[in-house]
Amino acid sequence: MAEVRITGLHKRYGAFHAVRGIDLHIPDGEFTVLVGPSGCGKSTLLRTIAGLEESSQGTIEIGGEVVNDFRPRDRDVAMVFQDYALYPHMSVAKNIGFGLKARKMPKPEVEVRVAEAARMLGITPLLGRFPRQLSGGQRQRVAIGRAIVRNPLIFLFDEPLSNLDAQLRDEMRGEIKRLHQDIATTMIYVTHDQIEAMTLADRIVLMRDGLIEQQGAPLELFEHPASTFVAGFLGSPRMSFLPGNLALDGSAAAIRLADALLPLAPGRGLKGVADGQQVLLGLRPEHLTRAHTATPEQGTFRYEATIDLLQPTGSRSYATFRLAGAPVMAELQAHDVSRPGEKLAIDINMNRASIFDATTERAI
Amino acid sequence: MQPTATIRRLKAAGAPPRLSAFAQWADRHFKWLLVAPAVLLILALSIYPLLFSLVVSFINYDFQVPGHAFVGLKNFERVVFDPVARWSLLLTAWLSGISVAIEFVLGLLVALTMVRSFPGRGVIMSILIVPLFISPVIVGQAWTLLLQRPFGPTNYILTQLLGQEVTIGWMTERPWLYISLIIADVWQWTPFMFVILLAGLTAIPPNLYEAAELDGVNAWQAFWAITLPHLGPMMLLALTFRLLDAIRMFDTIFIMTGGGPGTQTYTASYYLYTVGFTQFHLSQATAGSWLFLIFTALIVTLLVRRLLKVEPV
Repeated sequence: MAEVRITGLHKRYGAFHAVRGIDLHIPDGEFTVLVGPSGCGKSTLLRTIAGLEESSQGTIEIGGEVVNDFRPRDRDVAMVFQDYALYPHMSVAKNIGFGLKARKMPKPEVEVRVAEAARMLGITPLLGRFPRQLSGGQRQRVAIGRAIVRNPLIFLFDEPLSNLDAQLRDEMRGEIKRLHQDIATTMIYVTHDQIEAMTLADRIVLMRDGLIEQQGAPLELFEHPASTFVAGFLGSPRMSFLPGNLALDGSAAAIRLADALLPLAPGRGLKGVADGQQVLLGLRPEHLTRAHTATPEQGTFRYEATIDLLQPTGSRSYATFRLAGAPVMAELQAHDVSRPGEKLAIDINMNRASIFDATTERAI
Repeated sequence: MQPTATIRRLKAAGAPPRLSAFAQWADRHFKWLLVAPAVLLILALSIYPLLFSLVVSFINYDFQVPGHAFVGLKNFERVVFDPVARWSLLLTAWLSGISVAIEFVLGLLVALTMVRSFPGRGVIMSILIVPLFISPVIVGQAWTLLLQRPFGPTNYILTQLLGQEVTIGWMTERPWLYISLIIADVWQWTPFMFVILLAGLTAIPPNLYEAAELDGVNAWQAFWAITLPHLGPMMLLALTFRLLDAIRMFDTIFIMTGGGPGTQTYTASYYLYTVGFTQFHLSQATAGSWLFLIFTALIVTLLVRRLLKVEPV
């Protein structure tokens, strides 16, 4: 168990600047997820923490000790790879215990630890098998077993579920979360999948082009995205962005979208804004509902929408319509809407809407 | 709504044209006409000679003894009880076994060195595989020039290095003549091992080594736990190919020692060549070839069966 502190970290591959100055503090026992699109530097950052890549600049501390010059094996970290990285000709038991054996742990103790790890992961019946006789999910369990058996200071996961099919991925995600609850060790997890990030993380670190775009608790990022990038990355289906202008009138504020005027809640703190400023209104599908009352509630804006695309998922139906020329998606109850072309009164919850500056794309 | 594209039906192709009786026959048998040249070639150049050789091995077919009388197993008897034949078979096994073993170890070491990237790797790689492009006859001739007394520089260089007079008859003295043959073979064929093993090494995912490093596994343990099991099938492939080639060893011997002195460097191929084409005991040579073929087939079967049984990791 240990905290991780990264200060001013850079990583360059020749002319390519993969990590461009990361400052990150991960408290002891926290589950941190590094997430971002491919090429954002998240895997590089993880590999640099592991010592598999050398940092070009900056320091990495694990448990209060600067480990920049430590070899990977001396950093006391364990890593789970996307392709499992098991030893092909060793049984599951030997795979899990090999790291301990290599570190000259007495055999009886190795056996006890392997049995314990296998029990935690529910792979005791597989201990005598070989990796080629296992399914993808079982292999990944073995790889996780190999990591936990060493009882390392921190766990690193490099997209561990990407090779699994969707159902297995859901299952393993739950198990990894449970594992963290059980052993409460610092974990750093890299993924490009925002669902994994949301469900697993104590804290999400969202990266873009080698920099941290925003970090915080999953719901904080989800509900208060710092930029359109964060807002668009988290959430599925993604947030709709509508270009408009701010309309300020004394203490009352609204957003003008073409000919519609959408009032903002009076309590909303708008700082450093000007009347007429170009903004993007960010609406998540769940901020829109079918109107059930005669008059719109406080803080909602009612719009007569003509649905032009309908995507039912069973429990919910995603309906797309045009608002001031831009497409907006609403998440409706399954039977709220039956066919495209239908006219429907939609209530937009303006209290939960996000507003971004149109040029900087930062939240206002 | 976008207009939906309709699937356009193809115009009916109509009934196939009616053919005359001959045309129908030709249409049905045309495929046989097409494969006929290949079949005839195989029959004439492979199947017929093979069957004919089987016949020859049971009759008298010797330029020094007139007539083609049936002699039963006499030809085989001559080979089996010929000490030179037995020696040549033994020597073939020894020479090919030792050469291939050395080539394998050297090839693996070079491949392990070359798998990492470093400046100048491309150039070194090109130089390393040059011997593969050289005809074995040239290789034999080159080594003869290098080794042969008194003109070859080898003894002179060894004398200078060791500080004492070295007068080795590389082509005439035992065991040096075997060592010369092995050196020439190793020089030429180590690159083959190297290339195949390098291909195998580059195919091993680097993640495995990274995971092992994080596990605290040292280089030697990683070699046993990762490299060997992953390289196994490639090793077997390289060894099989090389061994099958090595037991036919002929050209370098023909050039370097001519089988001599005496019959000391007769390999199986060289023995069969001498009996058949210099002494013209054709039926004896044919019987010997069949025996050699059976030995070879045994080895091939064993190796190939093992090769096919390799499980993917």
